[in-house]
Amino acid sequence: MKVIKIDKTDWAAGLEKLRESYALIGPVKEKFYHTFKTLEPGREPDMDYSNSRISPKFVIYPQSEVILKCSMDANDPDYKIFKEPEKEYKSKAVVGIRPCDADSFPLVRRNFDTEDYKDPYWLRAYETTTLVGLACNNPCPTCFCTSAGSGPYSDESLDLLLVDNGDHYLAKVLTEKGQSLVSAAGWNDDAGDDATEAIEKKKADAESRIQSRVNTENLAGQSLLDLYEADTIWEKEAFACINCGTCTYVCPTCWCFDVQDEIHGNQGYRIRNWDSCMYPLFTMHASGHNPRGTKLDRLRQRFMHKLKYYVDKYENGIQCTGCGRCVRMCPVNIDIRRICNMMNSYDPESCTCEVTAS
Amino acid sequence: MKNLMEHMGIEPERLHFSWISSAESTKFVDVATKVTEAAKSLENKEKKFAKTKPKVA
Amino acid sequence: MNSYTDKIKEISKRLLKEDKVDMVVGYRKGSVPLMHQPYIAQNEAEVDAFVWDSSCGLNLANYITDRTERIGILATGCNSRNIAVHLVEGKIKREQLYIIGIPCKAMVDRHKLAAMADGDITSVEEDEEKGTITIKGENFSETVNKADVLQENCSLCMHRNPVIYDELAAEEVPEQSTDEIDPYARVKEIEAMDPDEKWNHFDDLLSDCIRCYACRNACPLCYCPLCFVDESNPQWVGKSMDATDVRTFHFLRAYHCAGRCTDCGACVRACPVGINVRDFTKKLEKDCLELFGWEAGLSAEQRPPLDTYSPKDPEDFIK
Repeated sequence: MKVIKIDKTDWAAGLEKLRESYALIGPVKEKFYHTFKTLEPGREPDMDYSNSRISPKFVIYPQSEVILKCSMDANDPDYKIFKEPEKEYKSKAVVGIRPCDADSFPLVRRNFDTEDYKDPYWLRAYETTTLVGLACNNPCPTCFCTSAGSGPYSDESLDLLLVDNGDHYLAKVLTEKGQSLVSAAGWNDDAGDDATEAIEKKKADAESRIQSRVNTENLAGQSLLDLYEADTIWEKEAFACINCGTCTYVCPTCWCFDVQDEIHGNQGYRIRNWDSCMYPLFTMHASGHNPRGTKLDRLRQRFMHKLKYYVDKYENGIQCTGCGRCVRMCPVNIDIRRICNMMNSYDPESCTCEVTAS
Repeated sequence: MKNLMEHMGIEPERLHFSWISSAESTKFVDVATKVTEAAKSLENKEKKFAKTKPKVA
Repeated sequence: MNSYTDKIKEISKRLLKEDKVDMVVGYRKGSVPLMHQPYIAQNEAEVDAFVWDSSCGLNLANYITDRTERIGILATGCNSRNIAVHLVEGKIKREQLYIIGIPCKAMVDRHKLAAMADGDITSVEEDEEKGTITIKGENFSETVNKADVLQENCSLCMHRNPVIYDELAAEEVPEQSTDEIDPYARVKEIEAMDPDEKWNHFDDLLSDCIRCYACRNACPLCYCPLCFVDESNPQWVGKSMDATDVRTFHFLRAYHCAGRCTDCGACVRACPVGINVRDFTKKLEKDCLELFGWEAGLSAEQRPPLDTYSPKDPEDFIK
């Protein structure tokens, strides 16, 4: 791994060069909050942001995506035969993605890339995307990445990590993809011997500024059924929940989808849309029976999935990277930190748990 | 209904309400003609609320 | 409004102690600034978690639909009007309810304050005497007049005092009058646009919508067992991010609220991306007032105009 130095005066020119081989996507402020957008020529990512409201997972996993197309023309020999749409997977670079958001991709990959099933749409998009991370020097009060398997300087899922260092960025080149990108941009100044140390120092400082955390050490050892039946946890939280899809849609690690067919003119489209376990229709059977018929069932599902089923199935921590979006965005303040700590400390004997004010 | 449709940008020419008895064939013809003409006068305008193909990735 | 908290606790505890109700619906302090959580207290100890200030901007009437218990509920002007709508529509019985009326001093707009702050807000303080709100973060502290950062619906509100209640938690507050403010100024601005401008205005308004349905689900009026957007047989609306489908959802949802919407603003408050969906509903409110002389939720007996027929109903749109 090497570290290079990118002077901020070389930044814009480098980005322009990158446009020749990459579509650039980055955080920009529109209306009154930041969002990831495709950056048209001349537009730079706003590297002075805390995080976007909607996670950049849509870059690889769009909210609505055509997965198959077919002809609805009865005279066409391929009438009603579904085929994959021709789609160009151009190289993309997400510039300024936060480490927690980048860490969500390998996590989601466990679902989309298994021995038995490989999701071609997700994988192609993922493989053609270069992730240029931006280390967090000013974490939000709701960030708890350090206790959720990520961190403000986490570089495990990035191709390149940028560290803002005043008039320049220190850039850790982490993968071949990252190397290709810096070469394409013409950034190659060696950062010198003390760069690694400087990064480590800033990293320790940033980590110490993460104020909130979740306790997860007991989750794997808890009995699944005990947690499922822990009404002390679920009843009060479920009361407030309005079963909207905000938490799932802003979350970088929620991966569930629904498939819908639409016909327009002579074309049929099979579209994959994000779905949410908060919606009653998510589990509605054709018979009319709904195994998760109440909002308590649905709220419990979301947290059990992230903090118990996933933990047990993949043995790789929780299905959360601690970005804190759901905590900030939930219209009724359902706080995953509070629920995680309750699940972690649940005592089935006394049916009690520690309620921390997160 | 009409008010809100117009409020969000549907041209008034596109939405008509009429009460026509089954015995009023001439009124029916008259209304149908007027409705068609009114809508046609907007021919150069962009169609609204018409989905031609899904805007998705 | 912090001063209300003690009184609210006192009343709630009394009701639970005297077994007048099985639960009291209120708010508990949220884990992030400006976001309190709707909360039920089922015993006196739980009442201690209650809080009341300028961040209680959801609509608690949303939480009593079809419930069977005896419920104590905190109700501001708009919340009480939605309770009245529920009573008319048979979603709850009057005898089940003990309404603790809250003369409302208006709620602050969380989106506005977030946009104003230079960083993340870590704490919010309210000075009731001076009428100011102070937001603080790591590197900033800003004090603003509460009146300047109100939720828009609150700044235009004509019914701050509860219209139906069993007991008031404080003395009534003065009401605003149409002599001072025009509640429909924004509607009129849109009305003055030509059709294309209107269309573009709503396109822009809805461009950030992620279809999370928080607006619908935060709304006490949206209690349908199956919403038309969720229905699959027949399927009325596509489920993708297509702008036509997104607009169809917002337009028809608003229309279903015609004559029932009290402009409580819960939809806007709940929206994670801050869309002012009231641009739809406020127009309907204005129409109902002009066409039928109707304001929603002022009576627990009279049915809303779109639910009834009168020979006097305006019909000049029928040619």
